This record gives sequence, structure tokens and C-alpha cells, in this order.
Amino acid sequence: MFMIRSVVVKNYRLHILGLIVMLVASGCGGGSSEGTDTPPIGNSPPIGAPVPNNDDIIPGESAAARLLTQATFGPSRQAIRDLSGESVSEWLLAEFAKPASLHSQHVEHLADTYGEEALTGFVGRHSTTSAFWQHAVSADDQLRQRVAFALSEIIVVSNANDNLFRDYPQAVSGFQDILIEHAFGNYLDMITEVTYSPTMGRFLTYINSRKADPETGRVPDENYARELLQLFTIGLVALNMDGSPQTDTNNNAIELFDNDDITGLAKVFTGFKYALGRNDPDFQRALSMPMVINEQRHSTTEKSFLGLTIPSNTNGPESITLALQHIIDQPSAAPFISRQLIQRLVTSHPEPDYIERVAQAFETGLYELPNGTVVGEGRKGDLKATIAAILTDPDARYDMMDADVDLSKFGKVREPLLRLTHWARAFELESVTPELLPLLWDTSGAEQLNQHPYRASSVFNFFRPGYQASNTMTGAEGLTMPELQLLNASSSFGYINFMTTFITGTAQADPDDVLRAINADPDEPIIDVSNVDKAFLPIYTTEIALAADSTALVEHLAQVLITGNLSDATKDRVIQTIDLSPVTGNASADIRVKLAIILLMTSSDYLVQQ
Amino acid sequence: MNINRRKFLHGMSTTAMSAATMGTLTTGLNAFTVNAQTASDYKALVCVFLLGGMDTHDLLIPYDNESYSQYRNIRSTMLEGYGASREQAALLPLSPTNAADYGNRAFALPPEMSNLHQLFHQGDAAIIGNVGPLIQPTSKTELENKSVPLPPRLFSHNDQQATWQSGGPEGAQYGWGGLFADLVQQNNLNQEFTNITTQGNSLFLSGANTFPYQVSASGASNIRLLSPELFRDNPELQQMLSDHFASDDSDTANLLRQDVTMLNSAAFASNQKFEAAFQDDLTLNTTFPSSGLGRQLETVAKTIANKEALGVGRQIFFVAIGGFDTHDNQAVTLPALQSQIDSSVVSFHQAMTEMGLNEQVTLFTASDFGRTLAVNGDGTDHGWGSHHLVVGGAVNGQQIYGQVPPASLGHDWDAGNGRLIPGVSIEQLAAPMGRWFGLSDAELAVALPNLANFSEQSLNFI
Repeated sequence: MFMIRSVVVKNYRLHILGLIVMLVASGCGGGSSEGTDTPPIGNSPPIGAPVPNNDDIIPGESAAARLLTQATFGPSRQAIRDLSGESVSEWLLAEFAKPASLHSQHVEHLADTYGEEALTGFVGRHSTTSAFWQHAVSADDQLRQRVAFALSEIIVVSNANDNLFRDYPQAVSGFQDILIEHAFGNYLDMITEVTYSPTMGRFLTYINSRKADPETGRVPDENYARELLQLFTIGLVALNMDGSPQTDTNNNAIELFDNDDITGLAKVFTGFKYALGRNDPDFQRALSMPMVINEQRHSTTEKSFLGLTIPSNTNGPESITLALQHIIDQPSAAPFISRQLIQRLVTSHPEPDYIERVAQAFETGLYELPNGTVVGEGRKGDLKATIAAILTDPDARYDMMDADVDLSKFGKVREPLLRLTHWARAFELESVTPELLPLLWDTSGAEQLNQHPYRASSVFNFFRPGYQASNTMTGAEGLTMPELQLLNASSSFGYINFMTTFITGTAQADPDDVLRAINADPDEPIIDVSNVDKAFLPIYTTEIALAADSTALVEHLAQVLITGNLSDATKDRVIQTIDLSPVTGNASADIRVKLAIILLMTSSDYLVQQ
Repeated sequence: MNINRRKFLHGMSTTAMSAATMGTLTTGLNAFTVNAQTASDYKALVCVFLLGGMDTHDLLIPYDNESYSQYRNIRSTMLEGYGASREQAALLPLSPTNAADYGNRAFALPPEMSNLHQLFHQGDAAIIGNVGPLIQPTSKTELENKSVPLPPRLFSHNDQQATWQSGGPEGAQYGWGGLFADLVQQNNLNQEFTNITTQGNSLFLSGANTFPYQVSASGASNIRLLSPELFRDNPELQQMLSDHFASDDSDTANLLRQDVTMLNSAAFASNQKFEAAFQDDLTLNTTFPSSGLGRQLETVAKTIANKEALGVGRQIFFVAIGGFDTHDNQAVTLPALQSQIDSSVVSFHQAMTEMGLNEQVTLFTASDFGRTLAVNGDGTDHGWGSHHLVVGGAVNGQQIYGQVPPASLGHDWDAGNGRLIPGVSIEQLAAPMGRWFGLSDAELAVALPNLANFSEQSLNFI
């Protein structure tokens, strides 16, 4: 079977792509014809229609799709239908109650499925990635997964440059599981577990950091102390609750710490080591076990930072507890984390009053949902309260609530990763088996998505929350636009090409090539590749049925892709374009569907989530 | 594009801070007397950014007996990991023509940089000692008393990368490479190819009227769906699809959507123009290493080879490699990176020489910051000032410019644990290159606003 299909991947793809478009070309022009077998599509009242005296009821499918775009890895048709007309509060409470699906389970599942032989190579190198795609596209606990991904872009680890992380997927999947498990928990609890995580210990180099040695001049490693403050908890400058910087009399932002604070805090993170020795036959288990502290190597002198002095001879665990509590107690923590979570889910440059409302929820640990239910445990850093505040805020829900928000500056450029997951959830797929689709194994390049899960180039993530794009309208207005940091001439075309292969169903590899990609002999396959051709293969049955009526097709696609913002100009252009591609049968209808999706997903209507 | 550009300029002039920037820039532009440029007038600057903060205490290594033994003592735990390569005998001693400036002190390069060592003595490379962000000259006392303004967010990676490139922390929009280009690119036929990056959206290359063009090492920039052979009998459809990707129409008030449309439209136009002009047929005897930096500098060399086709007489390039944040395992990580710099930069120099452009292309290194002289076991932590390389035929080489603080702790340039208070500001490093590039003093004052705070120093390295 493998012999027959041994076509080089690259040519295979071009061949299919060529076939598709040549089919387009073979028609004889003409407009759309009648489509009598159009299946019913959901009715939704137009945006802005009166809402029955209640800010809690999703008024229609567009509003449902919009919430799902912000809160999940993309709306599916089913999820849109289920949520339309329902209560936002109830939906959030239901999501909060869902059990967590963990990445390490997927990693183990792959190891079980493909066996020990595949473990070190294929599973080791790609199962962390596979776990991400699998969960993003298929997991039921969508809000939790999406929030955990957002957290992974604030509290960053990366397997870009660490072979150990690639050899032992438990490291990164175990780390991501911390974020998944705490996504609806408490930020302090999460950052505590992160601090003990061997993945973070290794990524920010404080594992094996030792107390100072005055004899040799050796000092503790400062890496984690600095990034913990700067990136994970409070930021560099003092913030008001609305996220604006506090300034001194010269109008300069007040910096929260200097290097003395860093050297003081660095002493706290001394003495960490793996829970198991490197020679232990079970060492790899240590990569998902909390680190332990060797008190002999833990600093015994006073540890002073941010106005706190931990007395000399305080042991490791106690020092860490005191330090992390003190850091989270800082007033800047709430606006610093809240603004970034809003950016990751809803809008890139949130207005001060929106930030303040969310920061209050973070600070108090409580939030009242529109239906009157109070969520949160009342402790600072409660993420249920914070997430609920972000998603039910009038600014986020301006399409169903009274909101004082400037829509010309609202929204976010969709992250490239989320465009792919959105597409995968919007349409029916033959199978969600990312482990069988080499194109998904590394999407870091500008020729792909310019972004890959858990593979940022550094702890500074794929983009910076304070990035402003020069030579742009938003830049001139001083608006922060993190995702624009990924858009340039190479990545612009890279995305179009990459997405086209998925939309057209030509991303799938040849079985032999999958085997070669994992260094396996095609004659002795160590994994079952019989379903390689089905991985992420779209089935557009519903769409094909609509294809003859180009207006109906575009409106149907826009419902799940654009979520209510399709401009007339884009709509007209897409219709005019696909009308040039005649429908003469199922195959040509299929082409029309694919072209329409490509056109929509490369339009600014889609690329900006509003 | 034009509509958005006008809107953009309008938007610029409505915000107070931007209006000020535009005002000074316009003054600078008016003061500029246009130099007619010919192809032979070509000049390029190449910034090699070492992401993460390079430990340049391990680049310009103390070599005289006394300094070396101090260095050895302070770094003993980390140097164990280096093995023989940091033994005094293994180092490559430098014989600068200005050795007298340093009295009894002598310096060396690490053995991983043998090719650059050779270039230094050929007179095509120089070292600028202890350069870093400063607003005005800063002494240790002034630092401790906080009596002078300091660059914000010292020791923070992203902010100091931004500060090196632009003078401001994260959020800054214009880099000095971009502002240089604003002032010279009117002489380029295709201004969009003035500033070129291989490393994503570079702040260094962004100016008020300059947007860096990203080239990928793999070169090709086309949309496969638009391949003409796929539309044999339906060119109209191909045209419609092409129009879609090229479109700069924004019928929306949403600024994000306007930006995305403008950026994708500009990318389409630039990529098409670049594809049409660029000939990937550079045949050189020089071979580039296949390392990340080697491939990027090869792309720069190929782009320079296409300068006539691309219609440019002045260009600024930005390339970058990461891995320099050596908090741990430095003895393994850094020497490998030093080798990569050495082989890649020297190949680039060789390629420029082969193309007859060595006098016209100047390469320099930059980094977030230097690192501590003290060690944390097997690594070093974030610092401030650092030593850098300038390479090219126009460089007055075989000299160590600026200053090199002693290899000890607690001296007058030590901000703590051997984090160096810079003796030379980035603007003093940039100014001579700007002058060489063709900027007048008035223009330099626009692009480098704090330059005036420093008394004219004889950094005549180019």
C-alpha cells in the first residue's frame, strides 16, 4: 500500500492544489444558479436588536459566535447553535465546572498508541505540540484550554532551544497542565506551582542556583527573580488600577524595583534541584515533579526586596511562600495581569475603565455575573472572577449590552495559531490527528504561522503586550497591538500559503513521508500511518450544498468565520470572485467553497476579531 | 496605500508627541542638501544584533598578567567549565595601534574568534569598548546619587533591546536605523528596499517614513494560489484573487482593520517588486556557514548584489541571533556562539571584498547589554555597558576605541558585580557611522537627540 502512494510531499501538495484550480479554470464562466437544496441556517436577529431587558441572554448566532471566538479556540456550528438564546452566566458556570483535560494525558496516550519504540523520537519531539492542537480543536473544556493558552503567553516556557524539553515531552506538557489546572483557580497558587516547576527552573536557569559564596565571588542566578517580577506578576512600572502608569513629578513612570531588589529576591530561588537524580532510571519523571530544595544550598542571609526583608535563616519553602505572597500583594499585580488577559482574549488596547473593572475582580477575588451569581473565592488573584469579568464586561459584550467603547480602536488581530484552530473547529474534519500531520509539527517559520505553541523564541513570548507598530494608524494613536509584531512581508504570504493548504485539503502528507519525518523505515512502520490522508482533512458537505447560491454560501461562512462583522465590500468581492468559478457539479462546488473560505480568512474582516 | 499613508500622516500630526517628532524631522529634512547618488556611491550598514545580552567580558578578555589573574579569580567557578580555552596561553592577544592608551594593560580575543583576530590586525576590524545606553555622561557617584537622568528599565531584556535600537524602552516606534533611512532614502529609487531585515519587525529599522522589508532566508515570496499555470482558461478569476490580496481598500472605521489591510497590501506590492527584481544568481567563491547568522548574512550579501535591480544606493540591514542570555551553562553556550559570529562575519567580509564593496559596507554588533563580571556558578547575569565589533574596509581598524574598565569589582565604572557603567553612549557609536553614511551634523542631531549631551569625542573609527 505504501509503495503505491510514495509521492514526494511537496509535489503531492502542488499536484492537488493544481488540480483544484485547473478544475476551476475548466468552466465556461457565468454566475450563480439556483440552489434548491439549501439546508436551513440559523436565524439571528441583527446586532443591536433589543435585548429582553437582560444583559445575560445571547441574542443570536452572531453574538454567540463572537463570545466563542473570544473564549474558545473557535466557534463550531454546534456550539453557536447551543449558545444562541442562552445565558452567558450559565455558559461560564458550565465551563467552570467542566473537568480539566490535561496535556500529559495526550502525551501518554500517544506513547501507548505508538509504543515504546516511537517514544524517544516521534512522540518525544512532537507530542507536546500534538497535545496542543488536539486539545485546542477537540477538548470539551474549551474556555479552560483557551485561558490556559493565554496564561502560557504570559508565563512563558519554550522548547525552541532546549533538547531536554524535546527529548522529554513531560516537561512542557506537565508545565502546561499546571496552567490548565489553575486556569480557574488562583494566580498565587499557580505562580507558586510554577516556581517549583522543573520546566521553569530549567528554562529560567534557577534550578541548581546556589547561595552566594563570598570566597569565590559567586552570586545567585538572577534570571527568575527578574522575569518573575517583570513578566509574570507586577511589571516594571507602578500601575494604577486602570493600567495607567504612575508618574513622578517629572512625569516619568515610577519604576517598581532596581537591581538591589533583584539580587535580594534571587536569594529566595536558591537550592532548587530535580526531585530525582540525573542517574535515576526514572529521571524523566522528575521533569513533571515539583523541584525540591536542598537547604544546604539555600541562602541563609537576609533576603530584601520590594520593601520586604525575609529574616536570615528562613528556610527555602518558607522564603518562597513569603516572597510570592508579597509580590502578588503589590497593587500593580491586578492591573498588570488583567490587562494582558484582556489582550489575549478580547481587545489589544483595552480602555482604562475596562481594565479597572477586571482588575477589581482580580484584586477582590469576587465577581457578580449578569445573572446575579457571584463567582470567586474572595482571595486576590481569583481567575474565575477575573475571566468572568473580562468576558461579561460591557466592552467585551458591546453587541448585547450598553457599552461606552470606541469601536474604531477595539478588537485584536487574531493570533495566527488561533486562525488555524478556528478553521479546524468551524468545519467538519475527517480526523483530528495532529500527530499524523507533519505540517503541524513546527509552525514557527514565517512560511508557516510565525507562531508555534510553547515555542516562543524567548520568555518574552511571540509578541510584547506593549508593542506598537510604527507607520500604522494604530501606532500613530499610541495603541498597543501585540499581534502586529508577527505581521511582515514574509509572514503575510506565509499565512496565505499555509492556510490555503489546509483549506483546500492539501496539507496531508504521504504516509511514507510521515515515516521518513520520524526517521522510520517505510518497510517497517513503527506507527500506523493508514489514516495519514485523513488528518485535518475538511469535509464541506453543508457548504457544498450551498455553493450554487454564492450569496447564501458567503453568508453561511461568515456566520462561523467573521462573526457578524462582514463588510459589504468584502462580501461583494468574495461573491464576485467565486461567481467567476462556475458550479457544474460537486467538484466545482467544492472549489467554490474553498475559494470563498480562503478569501474570507485572508480579509481584514476576519483577520481582526472585533 | 496612499490613502492610508495620508490618513497616517494626518493621524501623526494630531498627536502632540508625534507632532513634535514630525516637526524636528521636517526641519532635518529641509536642512538636508540632496546628494546625487550614483551606483558606485552605494553604502550599507549591517547591524548584527546578539539577542539576550552578550557577555563581552568574554569577548575582550584581559591579557596582561595582573588583569588576567584578577579575571581568572573572579570567574574561577565558571572558567572551570571552559577547560583550556580560557587559559591565558590559549587566548589570542591583540596588538592595537593605540596600545599606549591602555598603559600596561593588554587584551585578547577568545580562541573561537581567530578569523576576527586576523581581520583586526589587517585593519578591517575595530573594537568599541564599554558602549551602552546613556542619556548623558554618567559617573558612579552620579549613578548612586541618582543625580543624572538614566535610560529607563536598565537590565531588562526587551527594554534594553529597544533602547539600543531606538533610545526608548518597549513601545518605542522609531529606531536610529529607521531615522537614518528617513534622511537618505529619497535618493533610493525604491525606498521600500532601503531597510531590510531577516529577523521580523525590527524596531531599529523603523522610521517615520521607513518600514523595514522582511526577506526570508529561503527567498521566495509568492502566493502559490496565484500561479498563472493554475488558471489556464480563467485569467479573470486569477485577476480577481490577485486584486483581493493586493487590495488596500478599507471601508471601515476600525483602525486595526485599516492597518491589517495596509500592511498586507504593502507586503503584496513589495514582494511582487522584490520577486521581479531579485536575481538569485550570486556566484561567489565565498561560502557562508550554514548557521543561523551565516544564512542571514548570506541573504544580506545576495540582496546587496541586487542593489541596482532593487534601485537602492543606501541600505541598512538588521540580522540577529539569540542564545546570549547565558545565566547558566555559559562555558558551553557562548563559545559556540562566538564561533558562529566569527565564521559568519568573516565570510560576509570576504564576500563584500569579492564583490568589490568592502569599503562601502560596514557591519557592527549590538546587544541588549553586557553581563556581570561576577558569576552565578556557571553563568553571568544582566549588565549594562558592553564591548562591540565594527567590521569593514572603511573602518579605521586595529584599534580599541572608547574605554575598557579594569577586570575587577568595585572600580569607578562598576555599577555592582561588574555591570559596567558605559563610557561611550550608543549615540556616540552611531554618529560616526551616520556621518559616513552621508548624514550631516544637523541630521545626526535629529536622529540621535541625546548626542548633544556628550562632548565631541574622537571616536573616529570610520
